[in-house]
Amino acid sequence: MGGERLKIILSLTPPLLIIITLFFGGIFYGLLQSLGYQPAIGKYDINFSAYYNVMFSERYARLFWTGLGLNLWVSFASTFLAAVFALFAALAIRKTFFAKTICNFIYSLNLPMPHLVVAVGMIFVFSQSGLLARFASQLGFINSPGEFPVLVRDKYGFGIILAYIWKEAAFFFIILMSVLQSLGENFEELAQSLGANKWQRFRYVILPLVMPNLFSASIIVFAFSFGAYEVPALLGVIYPQMLPVMAFEFFLNPDLNARSEGMALSIIIALIVMILVIIYFWLTQAKIRKD
Amino acid sequence: MSDLKIINLVKNFQGMDRPAVNNVNLDIHSGELVAFLGPSGCGKTTILKMITGLFDPDNGDIKLDNQTLLTTPTEKRGVVMVFQNYLLFPYMNVNENVGFALKMKGVEQSIIDTKVREMLDLVKLPDIGLRKPKQLSGGQQQRVALARALIASPRLLLLDEPLSNLDAHLRDEMRELIVTIQKKLNVTTIFVTHDQEEAVLLADKIALIFDGELQNYTSPKNYYERPKNTEAAKFFGGVNFIKTKKNNNQLETELGDLVYDGNNIDELEIENIITIRPENIKISDKNKYDHNSFKGTIKSVIFSGTHTRYKILINNIQLECSLQSVGINNIKENDEIYVHLPKNKIWGMND
Amino acid sequence: MNNNLKKINIYAIYLGAFILILPLIAFFINAFSFRWFYPQIIPKELSLQAWVRLKLIPKPGQRTFESFLDLWASNPTVIKALINSLTIGFIVTVVSIIIALPAARVLGLLNFRFKKLIIFIMVSPTILPPIAFVLGLNINFISLGFSGSFFGVCLVHLVPIMPYVVLTMTGIFANYNPDFEHQARTLGANKTKTFFLITLPAIAPGMVVAALFAFLVSWSQYLLTFLIGAGKIMTLPLLVFSTASSGNPALTAAISIIFIFPAILILFFTSKFVSGESGATSGFGKI
Repeated sequence: MGGERLKIILSLTPPLLIIITLFFGGIFYGLLQSLGYQPAIGKYDINFSAYYNVMFSERYARLFWTGLGLNLWVSFASTFLAAVFALFAALAIRKTFFAKTICNFIYSLNLPMPHLVVAVGMIFVFSQSGLLARFASQLGFINSPGEFPVLVRDKYGFGIILAYIWKEAAFFFIILMSVLQSLGENFEELAQSLGANKWQRFRYVILPLVMPNLFSASIIVFAFSFGAYEVPALLGVIYPQMLPVMAFEFFLNPDLNARSEGMALSIIIALIVMILVIIYFWLTQAKIRKD
Repeated sequence: MSDLKIINLVKNFQGMDRPAVNNVNLDIHSGELVAFLGPSGCGKTTILKMITGLFDPDNGDIKLDNQTLLTTPTEKRGVVMVFQNYLLFPYMNVNENVGFALKMKGVEQSIIDTKVREMLDLVKLPDIGLRKPKQLSGGQQQRVALARALIASPRLLLLDEPLSNLDAHLRDEMRELIVTIQKKLNVTTIFVTHDQEEAVLLADKIALIFDGELQNYTSPKNYYERPKNTEAAKFFGGVNFIKTKKNNNQLETELGDLVYDGNNIDELEIENIITIRPENIKISDKNKYDHNSFKGTIKSVIFSGTHTRYKILINNIQLECSLQSVGINNIKENDEIYVHLPKNKIWGMND
Repeated sequence: MNNNLKKINIYAIYLGAFILILPLIAFFINAFSFRWFYPQIIPKELSLQAWVRLKLIPKPGQRTFESFLDLWASNPTVIKALINSLTIGFIVTVVSIIIALPAARVLGLLNFRFKKLIIFIMVSPTILPPIAFVLGLNINFISLGFSGSFFGVCLVHLVPIMPYVVLTMTGIFANYNPDFEHQARTLGANKTKTFFLITLPAIAPGMVVAALFAFLVSWSQYLLTFLIGAGKIMTLPLLVFSTASSGNPALTAAISIIFIFPAILILFFTSKFVSGESGATSGFGKI
């Protein structure tokens, strides 16, 4: 009996050790620093001044709140649009037709592509000297690069949203295809035989069927896009800045106070994501209780 | 062929309020075909797994040819097991599966090929060597599993529920195959089952196990005619139990007095139970005997093919009698009948 | 009516597919052009100049096999970054699988107290964004001397990788029947032979999927490598980022093509696995 217990503990220790020391250790250390505890320079007291500064001080308040707004807007918009796009694509593609496999492949193509590359791709296609602008110019819609709207490196995060949509739509697409293909057809045919038209079938059969998966996938995508650094760093502007970029810049500032503020910001980001996840679990539990 | 001794074997599992295996002692002789029989969860498979080395006992010893097995790792015990779901290695074909044990021993490939062919012939599947397990039927898989187990001449063969996954007709074939091979190779074999018919048909001796404890270890016939207690008797399909008071050498019952021939009269307590197999009860419309004969009424007649069962009420006691359907006629419900319990066919048990 | 709808359907799909590949097309055109100015759709000049500038292809007139090798051996930035990315990816993949294997076996086959808590801990790095832990970790690493080291970068890459590897392999073991191992043991196979002949073939497909994840996740890391590497460790994503910020599209495109090459390879390879494996897809979504 003891031997088995020992075996379990020994097997689980290496990965647990790595995650606890590196991941939780890193968060914990960042938390401490954000609360002003910096033994390296002799500060042992705990205070929330870094948090206060980040959110409410004259220097940063506007930056923070616009950044937060931008973050939320970007995450919501990209998650929602990616889901919608993928849903329609999945619905359209699942009926067999000529180039189905190729289209299937293309729509899921972006899945293993690194986010950075997708972001660069957005620059190539959507910038004012990008492919789309060139098409527009050739077709006579515009006369100069300046006339093409600013879609990447813009104030509203359009480029960032586009990059996320490009990538996450593939993610949604694959999930939806597997759900629809395993269950969707039977239910749809049944509803059809009971007299439901296309819209009714969509609303009463397909939508409820895919909602649970869509919902959990959306939480994953939202949480990820909210806290990610790479894409906004490449495609964003100086003001307004998305929070992860802001946190990183604060951190790189040689001023130690700014460093604490950067940590505080990253903790705030983590807290927001955590709250979202908790809300998600609470909502799904509520649903289960309702059923 | 080897002798197996199980000595004071004990095994406890977390979460169970009684030991899974409680002080089991068993002596199995070389070449015997023995059944571990008992309901699900009685510990029979656990004992098997301790013999192969999957579990270590908490107490006691297991000796093969008078040498303890407990200090030997599984792969060196020479004890081979055939699982209930055969477990043919899915990534190997039949030849590779069957030859596995010899390959582990480092035998030359050409010799392995010959022996594999021999074993496949023995189990009557000569042509399937290159097939993969998923291409075989259940019965074929089991034969391959058997061939695989026997190729390296194991000292002990263990079979876990060998017939329970098979249809009725396959069961007969497999039963014959197991018995033939076992006798031919003379390998000591233990098989585990919950089906007493199966045990009775296959085994030389049956170890009856309830709740982790060994009830009895004897020939199938004895379980029918001389069961140790009511629970054991019921497990083998016994249905006639008569409460008895011992008075010197007479047995007093609600039916009347019984004359008893059994050789365990001295071990019987004052209050004990008499049992008799349905097929040993004699009935007739005339009273032919001067002892152990009682008058009763037929309560029901149930035809079950080769046999017909009669439920008879005598005073307040109901007895069930089973006779061959051929040759008896004209016995109907509510008929009055004379029932004779031969004195050498009744058996007394304490509880 | 239905037919027309169908046609619109199909054309919409083709349009969508075309739009989706647009970036790829842009990449390839950029990478193989010279002076591809606005508003040309097709560059006037196709050339390999970007690749020459990156010191990946020798100048025209010198393109022999030896000169390729000489060029690469002189260790231009791109080759250095490529080697680093490959090495780090390979190391963390192998290490993560070795570490995860026993844990996954225990999690997949056994039940024990705190199991749910342990699984939660294992999965937590996928829930919170990397910025939450890497800042604090960086300070630690600096004081420990890991900052700017190869070892430090490999270590930090393990954090986002371990959850996926553990989870994927746990799934494999949950569907695995350990009785096969005991069967082999009774037939005379010792523990080592049993592992290599019985266990490994059974879990190999799952291991391959887990390895591919691990590699891709490590391959795509930017923030972690940038911060912990402290400018001393150059990997391909860092190179892509800096070149993209510098504004030369041809160079950026060329490096990006090298960068996405493994992803495309893996896409072809796993197109059988990906359909229906939601664990797999959520992993890819995070890259």
